[in-house]
Amino acid sequence: MTDGAPKSQTIAVVGGGIAGITAALEAAEMGYDVVLLEKGPSLGGRVTRLNRYFPKLCHPTCGLEINYQRIKKNPRIKLMTMSEVQGVTGVRGDYLLTVRKTPRFVNANCTACGACAQAAETEIDNSFNYGMDKVKVAYLPHEHAFPMRYIISPEVIGTPEADKIKESCKYNAVELDQQEETFDLNAGAIIWATGWRPYDASKLDVYGYDSSPDIITNVEMERLAAHDGPTDGKIIRPSDGEPAKRVAMIQCAGSRDVNHLPYCSMICCLASLKHAAYVREQYPDAEVDIYYIDIRAHDKMSSFYERVRNDPGINFIKSKPGHIVVGEDGRPLVCGEQIIEREIYQRPYDLVVLATGMEPSRAPGADQPVDVEQDEHGFLIPAVGNDGGQFSAGVAGGPFDVALSTQSATAAALKAIQAVRAG
Amino acid sequence: MTAALPETAENRYDLGFARWVRDNVEGGDKLSLCMQCGACSGSCPIGTQMDHGPRKIIAMIRAGMKDEVLSSNTLWNCTSCYRCTVRCPRGIPVTSIIQDLAAKAVEFGYADKKENALFAKSFWWSTSAFGRTDERLVTARYYFSLGFLEGIRRGLANLKIALGMVRTGRMHLGMPHKIKDIKGLTAILARAAEIEAEEANDEL
Repeated sequence: MTDGAPKSQTIAVVGGGIAGITAALEAAEMGYDVVLLEKGPSLGGRVTRLNRYFPKLCHPTCGLEINYQRIKKNPRIKLMTMSEVQGVTGVRGDYLLTVRKTPRFVNANCTACGACAQAAETEIDNSFNYGMDKVKVAYLPHEHAFPMRYIISPEVIGTPEADKIKESCKYNAVELDQQEETFDLNAGAIIWATGWRPYDASKLDVYGYDSSPDIITNVEMERLAAHDGPTDGKIIRPSDGEPAKRVAMIQCAGSRDVNHLPYCSMICCLASLKHAAYVREQYPDAEVDIYYIDIRAHDKMSSFYERVRNDPGINFIKSKPGHIVVGEDGRPLVCGEQIIEREIYQRPYDLVVLATGMEPSRAPGADQPVDVEQDEHGFLIPAVGNDGGQFSAGVAGGPFDVALSTQSATAAALKAIQAVRAG
Repeated sequence: MTAALPETAENRYDLGFARWVRDNVEGGDKLSLCMQCGACSGSCPIGTQMDHGPRKIIAMIRAGMKDEVLSSNTLWNCTSCYRCTVRCPRGIPVTSIIQDLAAKAVEFGYADKKENALFAKSFWWSTSAFGRTDERLVTARYYFSLGFLEGIRRGLANLKIALGMVRTGRMHLGMPHKIKDIKGLTAILARAAEIEAEEANDEL
């Protein structure tokens, strides 16, 4: 090594979603040491909450499963869950990351037997299912969790219930005295794969998200259709559990709107086409109306669009609805102008799905401990900072579907390798 | 005054009218942002009472349909509730465009027989003369602007209501009520007219 060679050749990957997983694996399989930091208790991010992928309607589980195997088998990857980056100092080749690790209260002895969950009584909102159902305070993040390990929610710590949970574990895996800790980490390059969150549908006041349980978002629709979701995969009206057979998809709910997200979120058209297919698969007599400004199904996605369009049970209505209200019978009423025919409509539905867009996790106003260079919407620019050692991957850098996220993650891994090799 | 309207083109999709709207109508410079999503017309509380609605009016402006736009009832049935403006995903001041198009329709003689325009003129006459709307005079002026016989007919038809209002003290007899400082109002309006004329000159 010459002078000015990187002090550290380790690549830190921040975020354990599909982009972070991909970047970590690509770099590690090229022979570089990687630290993969995930804020939550398990990997997979938003992708693991999808029921199926578009356009092939295959399950994300199998791809994730393969990736988890690759991580397990690769000694170069050090995975840290419950770990959030609090600060970054230094320059390319010699960064110091300050990481805060929050306690899981369950150690590696855990066999995921579930005895702790049986012993627990208190229930909390299940964030994996976007709060649509409950879990016990001792819970497995979800059935495909990696690492396959339970977690105990902090609110129960210090109560007799926590002691009961500890006693129920035959493997000595429960550690109620775990404390939050902060530690430093050296890295030569950083890949930010901090991902996205669904735009808050409550901000779309004219679409009445808070006024009816039968007005849901597209990410909730994924959970509703998933076999491990709150309804065991049955697409029903959340208000009364009846089958949802008249369903409306509202495109651009927040996206392409200067009052909300001025950009196109890219995935929502395809997601709604997929959701229409879910409904039609479950109910042969169902009818789905897709309200759209224009359908953005490019390149290889257009054949999926054609397939859905040929389904006589799916109608495409060119219109951005003005508002959604709750009708006298309690069903949501979608109101607007059908623009081709110039017809003012008011139609009742069993279920209305708002195709809310993608907001970067680091959106303006979000509580973000580390100041990383970003654009006006909170997306990170591809090469973060001027020192050439930090890169964005996946939706942290802009709205992407899964395929593009993995491509950008691979690109980021290559850039990071170049950064730690540079003299 | 506003620049003269372009000739109606033989070509239905001539851009002359769209350019004129861009340059002469308040908010017209934002027209090109419209993506025809329909949120404005779909939000309009009286959308079913309009022949075209705001979204289609914008499409018609772009298509160069000058006469159809300026004689549309959409300009007159707008109540200025501003829902379209608030909800427009592209930030287009839809209400301003519609309202100013109504003013242009009057200026260029498209609204001579529009009842809404005649009522608006009566309303403005009373407001600028007295600083208040006098129900009797606004109504009488409006009715008689529809023609002498129509004025008599509508006046008689509403006589019972008018007498009832007088009896219950909802309408007074005698001189119209004025605001205290009518001279001040006159000066304000005169200055506003001056500014408008100056701005028109600047644009030339």
